[in-house]
Amino acid sequence: MSHLDDHFDEVTGLLYLERQLDEGRVREVSTHLASCAACRELLRALESEGVWLRQALLAEDEPIPARLIAAPERDGANWGWIASFGLAVGGAYTLWSGFVEPWLAQASQAGFTQGNLLTMLFFSGAFWKGWDVMRSLTQFLAVATLGTVAVWLLRKQWRRFTAIAFVMGALVCALALPPSAQAADVERGNPSYTLPAGQEVKNDLIVTAAQRTRIDGDVDGDLIVFSNVVTVSGHVKGDIICFAQALRVDGPVDGNVRVWAQNLTLNGPIGKNVIAGAGAMELGQKAVVGGTMTFFSGATDLNGRVSGDLLSFGGDLEIDGVLGRDATIRGDRLTIGPSAQIGGKLKYEGSRQPDISPSAKLAGPADITIRHRGPDYASPRYYWHQVLFWGAAFLLGLVMLLVAPGFSSDAVHASRRIGPALVFGLVFGIATPIVAILVCFTIVGLGIGIAGLLLWAIAVYSAQVITASWLGEKLLGAGVGVGGAIGRLALGLGVQQVLMTLPYVRWMAFFAIIAWGLGALVLAIYKRMRPQAAAAA
Amino acid sequence: MDRHSTTEAMSEAELAQVLSQVRAGDADAWGELYRRYAPAIFRFCRRLLPAREDAEDATTEIFMKVRQKLGTYDSSRPFTAWLYKVASNHCWDTLRRRRIRQDLETGDLDTLPLEHPDPGQLERLQTEHTSKEVRTGLAKLPDRARMALVLRYYADMSYDEIADTLGVRRAFVGVLLLRARHQLRDALSESGAGAQRASAGGKS
Repeated sequence: MSHLDDHFDEVTGLLYLERQLDEGRVREVSTHLASCAACRELLRALESEGVWLRQALLAEDEPIPARLIAAPERDGANWGWIASFGLAVGGAYTLWSGFVEPWLAQASQAGFTQGNLLTMLFFSGAFWKGWDVMRSLTQFLAVATLGTVAVWLLRKQWRRFTAIAFVMGALVCALALPPSAQAADVERGNPSYTLPAGQEVKNDLIVTAAQRTRIDGDVDGDLIVFSNVVTVSGHVKGDIICFAQALRVDGPVDGNVRVWAQNLTLNGPIGKNVIAGAGAMELGQKAVVGGTMTFFSGATDLNGRVSGDLLSFGGDLEIDGVLGRDATIRGDRLTIGPSAQIGGKLKYEGSRQPDISPSAKLAGPADITIRHRGPDYASPRYYWHQVLFWGAAFLLGLVMLLVAPGFSSDAVHASRRIGPALVFGLVFGIATPIVAILVCFTIVGLGIGIAGLLLWAIAVYSAQVITASWLGEKLLGAGVGVGGAIGRLALGLGVQQVLMTLPYVRWMAFFAIIAWGLGALVLAIYKRMRPQAAAAA
Repeated sequence: MDRHSTTEAMSEAELAQVLSQVRAGDADAWGELYRRYAPAIFRFCRRLLPAREDAEDATTEIFMKVRQKLGTYDSSRPFTAWLYKVASNHCWDTLRRRRIRQDLETGDLDTLPLEHPDPGQLERLQTEHTSKEVRTGLAKLPDRARMALVLRYYADMSYDEIADTLGVRRAFVGVLLLRARHQLRDALSESGAGAQRASAGGKS
């Protein structure tokens, strides 16, 4: 424009409109405006732009989020942290004394003397030599704690999704970087594999075969097999680790046998321990287990000899063989035949009275506990337990309300969409553990699988808190403040607890509550991650 | 436009009574104060901070500060002015912690065009873009430019208050506002041109 000498500039126009010019300058501009159409037009446009900007910024197109409905309480977060810290300490102690320690004791009893829980649970040596060094429980907990602290510290600086992804990634990397593996011979059956008699593998042998695997030769190391039907008649100088439809071991094994199979038959001598999960299992008459035997099995016949302790969980167990030391058995039915001998204490807990032959040789009287199926409505203890369950769920809800009020509120809000919440809850409730277990079968996926299962278990338990808040809101009405939310939670949990004790409907109520609450949690998580994911894209 | 337009009407006497009750520790009065002002403060934060979750967190934190600092509030001043001052300081601190301010005060005058903008083009921008598009465009602006526009046209702050919040000279506020308007015009023009290109591409 060529009128710079005559017209005022845009800044002056804006300051004039916003009454920010001194009196002298205002007079000059006003005088100029009276004779200049172009400047009048500019001022009109600037003024109109100002109004337009105000309207755009003041437009109330977005409702206040549910988490902001209640006014923040003074020191609320501190109480939340104190409560959660106390609960965390209590929970850690309870977890250790009630779960980890007994399992470590049982693991030790079963021959796992390293004191390594994860090693015991996931047969670490089978997957990767050196994992047991890396993955001690202490290290795992240390990494998890560091991860939690890192998320907390980074949550203000980074987008949540990025921070969580980073920490989870680091966690997985930390778990997936074990010391270098020892070499092993890897054989892929197509579709079957046979190690002929007379041949010897001077190493660990890993076999994957879709149909059948026969090991008639010797293995001077561990034998690791993923196959449909597996028969071992050769000499295995290390451990046998096997995932199969059916496994039969007729040859000698110098190390341990660790198996997950539908049908398991052990006929040969086994130098160390047996740990097995099986639909049906038989320890043949000629079989001798040098160490302990631990198994989860639907139906089991023990006709051979076990030198160490026996630990059994499952359905039916029949013992006709010799147990050198203590036997701890939990199951539906126990039969001890006339030729059975038990050298240590016999402890049985089950739903039926065991059938013990008078001819059987027991070292002492059996310690028998008969537990009833379903709730014992006549027992005051049952109701006391319900109160305890209510208290535990209430504490969890309290922590969620105090530590993550926004997320809790979002989840309760999501639970109002009953249909989608139920559908999502069913899908995630069923699919997540399946996927997590499948992921666990891969080497690098183990950490992700375990983390997924833990998160799934926490989410399932937390689901009742969400539905209880919804129920409390329906009964008491929506209100403002943490006090009201706690009252609604307490009442809702109480009603739910009653529903879950009623005959006939309790299982239906239980599954509905879990699916519904889980779905609401999933929807709330999705809502929180969606903007970050979109921005990242 | 007055700041009170962003909140539910509350008479001065009513507000004074509520504030007095809050100072005395009345939880119900605190809930009432929060209920009246939280939506406006949330929207204020929403326009200043990049993500919805940031705005939610900021709203909670601002009200925690308000409760702590209520004793320092001078009741001769409008409460909303004080409230927006606390909110804007909090949001500005949040933004400042996240990144180093790149736009410096010096030299800005030279970058402003001295020519009159085309009034017709300005009017076209106003008719072609919805309020939502304006807020989307606003989100693309540098932090200080966005802050300036929101403080002036949402929170209705004076030039003195804006200068104090942003730590600039008062005389620079007008320049800052005009520059922000230019940047918003450019952002909207670009998004409009982008939409037209996408539309033309879709048709071909």
